[in-house]
Amino acid sequence: MESLHPRIRLLWIAQAAVGAAIVGLIAAGVDSQIRELPAAVPVGAGLVVFLVGVVYAVLLYGRWHFDLREDSLYLERGVITFVETSVPFVRVQHVDTRFGPIERALGLSSLVVYTAGSRNADVRVPGLTPERARKLQDTLRDLAVESEGDDAV
Amino acid sequence: MNRLHPLSAVLMALNRGVTGLFLGFVFATVLAAVFDPVSGFWTVVAAPTGFLLGAAYGVAYYYRFEYELTADTFDLASGVFARRDREIPYHRVQNVDVRQGVLFKLFGLAIVNVETAGGGATEGVLNFVGEDEAQRLQREIRRLTAESKRRRRKGGTATDAESADDLEWVDPDALETGEDRPGEAIDPPGAADPEPAERAEGATGSEPAEGRTEPAEGATDDVTEPIDPDEGPRAVRGERLDDDADLEDGAIDTASGPGDERIDTAAGSGDWAVDDEPVFADEYRTRRLFELTARELLLYSFASFRFAAAAAVFFFAFVAGDSAMEVVLATAQPFGGPETIATGTPRGYAILTLVSLFYGAVLTYVVGAGFTFVSYYGFQLGRAGDDLVYERGLLQNYSGSIPVGKVQSVTITDNPLQRLIGYAGLWVETAGYGPDSSGGSQSAIPLATERRAYRFAERFTDLERPTMERPTSVARRRYLARYSIVAGLFVAAVYGLSTVTPIAGWQYAALAFLAVPPAAHLKWIHLGYYVGENHVVIRSGFWRRQTTVIPYYRVQTINTRRSIFQRRLGLASLVVDTASSQTFFRGTPTVYDADLAVARSIHDDCRERLQTALAKRAADEDAGEIEFD
Repeated sequence: MESLHPRIRLLWIAQAAVGAAIVGLIAAGVDSQIRELPAAVPVGAGLVVFLVGVVYAVLLYGRWHFDLREDSLYLERGVITFVETSVPFVRVQHVDTRFGPIERALGLSSLVVYTAGSRNADVRVPGLTPERARKLQDTLRDLAVESEGDDAV
Repeated sequence: MNRLHPLSAVLMALNRGVTGLFLGFVFATVLAAVFDPVSGFWTVVAAPTGFLLGAAYGVAYYYRFEYELTADTFDLASGVFARRDREIPYHRVQNVDVRQGVLFKLFGLAIVNVETAGGGATEGVLNFVGEDEAQRLQREIRRLTAESKRRRRKGGTATDAESADDLEWVDPDALETGEDRPGEAIDPPGAADPEPAERAEGATGSEPAEGRTEPAEGATDDVTEPIDPDEGPRAVRGERLDDDADLEDGAIDTASGPGDERIDTAAGSGDWAVDDEPVFADEYRTRRLFELTARELLLYSFASFRFAAAAAVFFFAFVAGDSAMEVVLATAQPFGGPETIATGTPRGYAILTLVSLFYGAVLTYVVGAGFTFVSYYGFQLGRAGDDLVYERGLLQNYSGSIPVGKVQSVTITDNPLQRLIGYAGLWVETAGYGPDSSGGSQSAIPLATERRAYRFAERFTDLERPTMERPTSVARRRYLARYSIVAGLFVAAVYGLSTVTPIAGWQYAALAFLAVPPAAHLKWIHLGYYVGENHVVIRSGFWRRQTTVIPYYRVQTINTRRSIFQRRLGLASLVVDTASSQTFFRGTPTVYDADLAVARSIHDDCRERLQTALAKRAADEDAGEIEFD
């Protein structure tokens, strides 16, 4: 089974940093507008969020795996709830590759697989190199185009 | 790669510019309010800067938005900072929709929406292109879709999403009696043999002597049951008129035209052939499958609970406030309630609360029963062509149709009271095709004897009789722990309440723990699953038990989920997702808390049997027959 690119941890950590900054900002806002807080509170709150985010990122990286199997795309991931997902190729509606600004800076890209199921865009593989994502997209597209079945909708 | 219409760049720039202006303003204002060094003057700078940045973004977005029609897929690439590359295979396209407002018409512009199945937003939006380009796109996508379908068909393995949907139909007589259908013995000789000659033979056996009903007119009284047992049910099939029809130009899709299809199942289960000649006149004939009798209607009204009816009770209390209050006070007094609402002891008020809750519950129940009675009065379900049609309602007539080919799964529901009297209801889920606003779930049988409901489900889905299995008793232990925690929280809450109010005797709240073991047991006992040849059946719920039948063919994705608690106990929940749209009350069908090994094996079974079902379907289609499974 394939792991994600190690740099994905940096992305998750960066996201945690953004979250920490927002929490810190909110605490600062409370401090100035609503009631006085000890100076350590905004910093501490931000720091806690950041550290939890770092631990989470490291754990999540260790648990994220995906695999192209004979008839389906298989993914497993999750820290609190561990989820194993099978997406039969015949059920692939369409495939996106996408990257946000941070992902672009890190040279990463995500693959998003859509099915007609009620959990439509549930299947997302982050942390791929752009080439790998592109290749996966091509593979899945070919499999979806050639697949014998329909989407059963 | 193509770009959008240049005017869209202008519009986008303006649009994003205004957004940028607004964001800059808000951002500077907030910063100025929070941080002292930031002064209000910043907004004067930030707002125009925001506008410029937004406009620049809008222009950049235009230049970064590209679309292309390739041989197999419709490609879209978009995004300035965040990029998205999307490839939509043509045969997944459901409809291409061109929109033109008045202004757009004036300037010769149009918005093109390309939709595929599945929820969520429109998958491909071209906002906006020139009129000619819109028409070209619509034409080209249609052509390429047809081409890709033909290519796939030539490959000898293709199936057609829209025509590959049919099902064995149900003999109402069998449903009425609960016995095996009498028609079994007099099957058309070639029921198991898909030769055209026999097909015709089977068809001649079914003269159209059956009753007709016109749902639109609501003339339900003169419907007659088929009287001739020889006749058997006949599924008529004509050309389908739905959204997708416009994608399949008749000319390019003769393979799935009317008259080319028949229904068949394995020998022994009995079946009837479809007319070979086109039957447009018959398209609108309805064959009745189920009618809610007066007895069933009354049982359904009184044995179902509608919590939404509480809203009506609130309304009633609001309108008739004073007189309602008097009644409540008068009832509460013998039990120690207060004389008036203004005077009273805490104990008195507590009793008053209990009494009004009681009234509320009774009223909710009565209003709910009345609502059920009125809205399900005269319910009947029939089949017309490829659709299930239903109608119901006393004051307001509801009627609608459910395309059979869109049915994703079938669910049998019952509540404790219904189980006690041995009744159950049946719902069908479609892919977001809900004729009701209630999503894609529609009542096919509001209430019938449990046996009949299950029989209907079996016939409807061609399901072998399921023998439900139960997750390991470790699951029960988990619920024991879970409910103990809930009871503990309840006791803590009551204790907390007793410290701030004069209510005494919080210790009695500990009685809640007595309810924990039965609750855990009941939750566990009503869990079940069955992994069949063609279907997986999933059951859960005590108050509103649902038994969902999912054909493997309809499976979209399969998930095995394990929370940290489940991992400790070696349990897992298996989620089987279909394309049926979810409603608030109806989660995705889930096998809860099965042993990990069991969950994984069901996971693999579902995955493998989907492939088997697909292969079987493809083979059947090659042989010129299709069945719903």
